[in-house]
Amino acid sequence: MSDDDSGEGLRAQGLAALDRLVDATAAERIAISLASLGFAIIVGTVLVFVSGFVAECRDPFIYLPGLGFGCYNPLEVYWTMFIGSFGSMTDIGQTLLQTTLLLFTGLSVAVAFRAGLFNIGTQGQMVLGALATALVVLELAAYVPDNAAGMLIVIPVGVVVGGIVGGFWGMIPGLMKAYANAHEVITTIMLNFVAIGIAFWLVQVHVGDLTTDSVQTESVPAVARLPATISGSRFSVIALIGALLVAVGIYLLYKRTVIGYDLRTSGIQESAAEYGGVNAKRNIVTSMTLSGVLGGIAGAIYVMMVQYRWQAGIPPLGFDGIAVSILAGNNPIGVIPAALLFGSLKTGSVAVDLSLGVPGELVEVLRGLIILFIAMPEFFRMIGKRFGYGNGSVVTDGGEA
Amino acid sequence: MEPDEQDERATTGTPPAVHLDGITKRFPGVIANDDVDLEVERGTIHALVGENGAGKTTLMNVLYGLYEPTEGTVRIDGEPQTFDDPGDAMDVGIGMIHQHFMLVDTMTVAENVVLGDEPTKWGGIVTDRERANRETQALADRYGLEVEPTELIEEISVGEQQRVEILKTLYRGADILILDEPTAVLTPQEVQSLFGILRELIAEGKTIIFITHKLGEALEVADEISVLRKGKLVGTVDAETATREELARMMVGRDVLLEVDKPAASRGDLVLDVEAVTIEDDRGVVAADSVSFGVHQGEVFGIAGVDGNGQSELIEAITGLRKPTDGTITFDGRDITTDSRRSRVSAGMAYVAEDRQKRSLVMEYELQRNGLLGRQHLRPFSDGRLIDWGATGEYVDDIIEEYDVRPADPTAKAHSFSGGNQQKFIVGREFERDPSLVIASQPTRGVDIGSIEFIHNRLLELRSDGKAVLLVSSKLDEVTQLSDRLGVMHDGEIIAVVDPDEVTEEELGLLMAGERPDNLDVDGARVRRSSV
Repeated sequence: MSDDDSGEGLRAQGLAALDRLVDATAAERIAISLASLGFAIIVGTVLVFVSGFVAECRDPFIYLPGLGFGCYNPLEVYWTMFIGSFGSMTDIGQTLLQTTLLLFTGLSVAVAFRAGLFNIGTQGQMVLGALATALVVLELAAYVPDNAAGMLIVIPVGVVVGGIVGGFWGMIPGLMKAYANAHEVITTIMLNFVAIGIAFWLVQVHVGDLTTDSVQTESVPAVARLPATISGSRFSVIALIGALLVAVGIYLLYKRTVIGYDLRTSGIQESAAEYGGVNAKRNIVTSMTLSGVLGGIAGAIYVMMVQYRWQAGIPPLGFDGIAVSILAGNNPIGVIPAALLFGSLKTGSVAVDLSLGVPGELVEVLRGLIILFIAMPEFFRMIGKRFGYGNGSVVTDGGEA
Repeated sequence: MEPDEQDERATTGTPPAVHLDGITKRFPGVIANDDVDLEVERGTIHALVGENGAGKTTLMNVLYGLYEPTEGTVRIDGEPQTFDDPGDAMDVGIGMIHQHFMLVDTMTVAENVVLGDEPTKWGGIVTDRERANRETQALADRYGLEVEPTELIEEISVGEQQRVEILKTLYRGADILILDEPTAVLTPQEVQSLFGILRELIAEGKTIIFITHKLGEALEVADEISVLRKGKLVGTVDAETATREELARMMVGRDVLLEVDKPAASRGDLVLDVEAVTIEDDRGVVAADSVSFGVHQGEVFGIAGVDGNGQSELIEAITGLRKPTDGTITFDGRDITTDSRRSRVSAGMAYVAEDRQKRSLVMEYELQRNGLLGRQHLRPFSDGRLIDWGATGEYVDDIIEEYDVRPADPTAKAHSFSGGNQQKFIVGREFERDPSLVIASQPTRGVDIGSIEFIHNRLLELRSDGKAVLLVSSKLDEVTQLSDRLGVMHDGEIIAVVDPDEVTEEELGLLMAGERPDNLDVDGARVRRSSV
């Protein structure tokens, strides 16, 4: 009996906590995120420390009687991770480079999510957008002067082409959702495979650089490369500024504009949108297209700022975008710090991997822990909201208050 | 359980089937139930009435094991019980039939009935469908519930779906059945058939608790009626001797006008003219066949009929949500047959939709955002591009105040409001934008008595202001009391337009069933129509 009581008490406490979490203010949410980061580091510290006793190494960091030699110093690992992402201008450049790309993919996911649509297809939209950009700028570069003026033509065209092709690839699941009732999660996942397959085949067989064995296009000329801002890194602040402007633009779109209201209403509740005089089907297609455009632009930036060519095996930035968006609570402004966190973790873990003897897998675990801990409260907020917690409401009987 | 056992209990003075003893349920900031005592004798129907938000559903959720009471005890047959979840309540024979059905549309009646407790064959690997069908049929026959076990849920009527819900509960061995607003979605005929079923069930020794806010129904079917107001039990009365006025006073806490006081109509120009309109439903079947009627300024034109006789499609065609295949619709002298929904709204057409949770409200939006729905393209709410949240907020605050939407919180989401408050908000939003035509479809469905009075009065005020009102309702008393002229729809046709003061309820019932009563001059009705 007493067991039951405490169980009930815990459950009630848990639900009350969930209520409070859903209603948390922005400041509380930031505090929760920072505390989560702290907890993640504590858990990671223990994990790294303990793993050190299992591993073998030439010069151990510590000896504990009864346990033997411990190889890894957790503080050093985290310090290296931090220094690796912010320690020098070059590192900051690399961090911002990742951040910029994650901003575009994160916003791509967030823009659809805000409109009640779950676009898992950012990766595919990015891959095809990247290829289109690479091919078009390679062609176009021959017709423009090899100077700043040329750049002013080639780079915008590259971005537009990437956006158009990505948007087209996003429009397909939008059309299938609106007019054939096919769920966008399924269709976008499948279209990722199709996109990656098409791009690989095109490059390998038709449009690639046939002089190498790698599946890749030729390298794009200087006019199609975003000017680097920081030496030692290909990061270009122009791309970052563009991404930040897009974030603010999307925020305003949903906050202030009639178009944003219509897009969101259409995705969330189609029949209510029709009641409200909105062509809901067309808006669903528009939301998915817009999401695809941002995925495609991410691809264009990837080609013109990072790889300088299309190459098979583009990193899963599109999938990371899903995590970035969820971490941000699908808020376009929240995507900015979320992308920065992901970007710095990416860069920092490369440094740990290279400079310490800690295996890459363990670094991945540390990175995963941080993301997991920070994303969980947001995740619970989303779930809690779904099931009607929060908002100070009595769930079933909201009449009198 | 069995009749003789019940008799034995009655003679030996055994405790009531359900005894809620001093139940208090608190939520943060709200006392939903305040020291409620309720006793229900075995083999009786006990109605629980009260306005939306009075705490009826919360009380039943306590009995059903969904909530743990903050204070008080639940006794079943005299035994104190604590339920951790509805499964525990089910184990002692308590079953609940929710207002919103919990059925799988793509499965058959029998599959739904046995779901979770399926008879199996081949060592438990495969559902024994034949046995499921047989057992469902047997159970249905025993309690007089007409269903066809092999039909799919999506293909049967709402009334039949409710019977399946009842069967589901009985199949799980329920002895005490709680029905939450079971008549909200039913037509008058279906309500009567439900009452027949309930009487059958108590004759078989079951105990029924019936949540409703329709006083007439409580008086008709229940043995005893308990009234809740603001979480407290106001009293329990004998249904034999109680009156509607008495119950309404207990429920609302003041005298309520049950009859609408309607001033004489002063009919003006023709506002809406529907001429030979034919409409197909989603499956391409003709739902409305060459329907004609007109609505004038300063009159309420009512459309009565059993649900599913083409009213929904007709209203959707008029409001621009469905394209008619033939005919013309004229609004304020302009042919709007092919106009978009948006342009009809801009032209001054207000619409309270039948399904508020699907059409008239975005459930995930706050009231603030919902206040914008339908007028987001118009001044003063926006300049067509940017939304003016200031103007929208003022408008929403005004609606909340004037239409007494509770809780008065424009930042609360639509789904956290009770049905009555949702409807008051929608009615306010649609009525306050100076429309020239108001179309109200089932405006008081699932709405409490105080709000019904309010909505009816607002409709009549619009009529006095010279607006044209088109009212569709499956509640006969509503359409007859409010309408100046009443069209009866049957099988996609308006088979008569009558003066509601000149027909009896019986005659209307026959018309709704598609029969023309001998003593009613239906041609006369037609003549009245053609004089429009």
